[in-house]
Amino acid sequence: MKKMKLIFLTILVGILTNSALFAASEEATHQLPETYMVIPFVLLLLMIATGPLFYQHFWEHHYPKVAMVLGIITIVYYLAVLHDSHSLLHTFAEYLSFIALLASLFVASGGILINIDKKSTPLVNVALLLFGAVIANIIGTTGASMLLIRPYIKINRKRIKAYHIVFFIFLISNIGGALTPIGDPPLFLGFLRGINFFWFLEHGWYIWLPTVILLLIIFFIIDSRNVIDDDPAQYTGKIEFKGMKSVGYLAVILISVFIDPAVIPWVPSLAPLPIGIREIIMFAVVYLAYKGADEEILKANEFDFEPIKEVAYLFIGIFATMIPALQLIAHEAHVLGEQLNAGVFYWSTGLLSGFLDNAPTYLNFLSAAMGKFGLDINDMQQVHQLSIEHVTYLQAISIGAVFFGAMTYIGNGPNFMVKSISERSGIETPSFFAYWFKFAIPILIPVFAIVWFVFFKGA
Amino acid sequence: MKTLEQVLNEKIKGLYYGPRVILPFVVDILKVVIDDDIITDFSPLSEIAYYEKQDNFTEIYFFEHKDILKDVSKYEVIKMIVVEEGDDMFDLDNHKKIALNPIEHHLLEISKLDDDVIFIE
Repeated sequence: MKKMKLIFLTILVGILTNSALFAASEEATHQLPETYMVIPFVLLLLMIATGPLFYQHFWEHHYPKVAMVLGIITIVYYLAVLHDSHSLLHTFAEYLSFIALLASLFVASGGILINIDKKSTPLVNVALLLFGAVIANIIGTTGASMLLIRPYIKINRKRIKAYHIVFFIFLISNIGGALTPIGDPPLFLGFLRGINFFWFLEHGWYIWLPTVILLLIIFFIIDSRNVIDDDPAQYTGKIEFKGMKSVGYLAVILISVFIDPAVIPWVPSLAPLPIGIREIIMFAVVYLAYKGADEEILKANEFDFEPIKEVAYLFIGIFATMIPALQLIAHEAHVLGEQLNAGVFYWSTGLLSGFLDNAPTYLNFLSAAMGKFGLDINDMQQVHQLSIEHVTYLQAISIGAVFFGAMTYIGNGPNFMVKSISERSGIETPSFFAYWFKFAIPILIPVFAIVWFVFFKGA
Repeated sequence: MKTLEQVLNEKIKGLYYGPRVILPFVVDILKVVIDDDIITDFSPLSEIAYYEKQDNFTEIYFFEHKDILKDVSKYEVIKMIVVEEGDDMFDLDNHKKIALNPIEHHLLEISKLDDDVIFIE
């Protein structure tokens, strides 16, 4: 494993040096990858899906190596065959940004303990899920997931089933965060490119609200069939909150999200380094929040770095191997841009966001939509123009990218972490396939089809 | 033979060596969560875990965890639902939740599972 890390680091240093030397040629257009270079990505997805089911022992011990080897294949191809270090560096910067946000929210929320002494009823659960969906727009889907998953499990401890966790992932880890750029990373990328902060709220709430309500109704119906009538326990109804220091760290993370040269012009860019001031603050929070957290709270939360390590390893492989897939998709989207309507943008962005990381997928389809109207994604004024003149297209891409992250465990960072925390609490969560076939396809696809029919069909 | 209650009150420690855990009381084990493994299959054919009751201790083998101290991190514990030998397994009140915390020198702290820690039966 150490050897593998060393190889990875050597390659990264090589890319950084290479990119620094050739920074001037950053804008150079690179050759498209061969289609077969999608194979490492497909292989990684297949192994993530089948590993825990069919070769659990091998997978649990070797998934970091598998992710790294497949990632290295793609990296070597880009360096040796395409001579394209820019795409790699760009992806590495996105990965660092992704993991900095996830890790800092994970550690800071691990220092907060919420105890809700209420009887678990379908209505209480609906209220908690709705609350989580709303605050996902203030502290991000990751922050809301990490903060609420433990109290949610605790409230439901006497009757918890897999669907409780699945609906939590649907509503709090994904769909909830569609109203602000803080909610989900793709929207933040859109914000950095020139879309107004409140655009998503203004143009998204009337899609978000019925979708959330519809899913809550479905949840309520399912949950109502799983009620314990003779629960002798006495509940005080009290809500206990511990770990105010960690709340302060959460606030630092949220403020740091905006510390970006694209938002605040005087913030220095550290280019060609693949990291900015924002990421440095977030990594500092990881260290400080962990060292400064109350030991009793960490113990009660059974704080462990393993869930974030799992995400870090798997997603370094996913980020690296998905580069060819994303570039090929972007190319096709540009070629076909003329023929694509808002509905196609919704389904394409959505379905691909379920399997690829939704942030770059969002940018690629945003770029394709811009191209369709003769606009340039690198010009903030023109992105702003799209958000005013072609609202439906931007809605379709934004809603698709955020909502469909709930389709699989790998659709969004917090999905995996919620799964891991649930398992550590003794809850059997659905496998990759069971999640897909028992929940995502039968519940989400019809709901998303209704969204398409009402808002995007024929648009 | 010590009872579970005595072990908890007197803070008697268990032992672990590699994948083998030795508890100083005799119990039937219903469910274990170690790391992110949820274990309910303790049959002789299980490749994950196996336990055996001896005259005055219970030994468990976690085949997947060759070094328990390394696998269970600082703020984590091994969580277990056990039923003391002689107690009625079908009376849910006899299902006891305990926490095992591996420390240095192969010692294992045994305690009642803290109410704050979530462990779903």
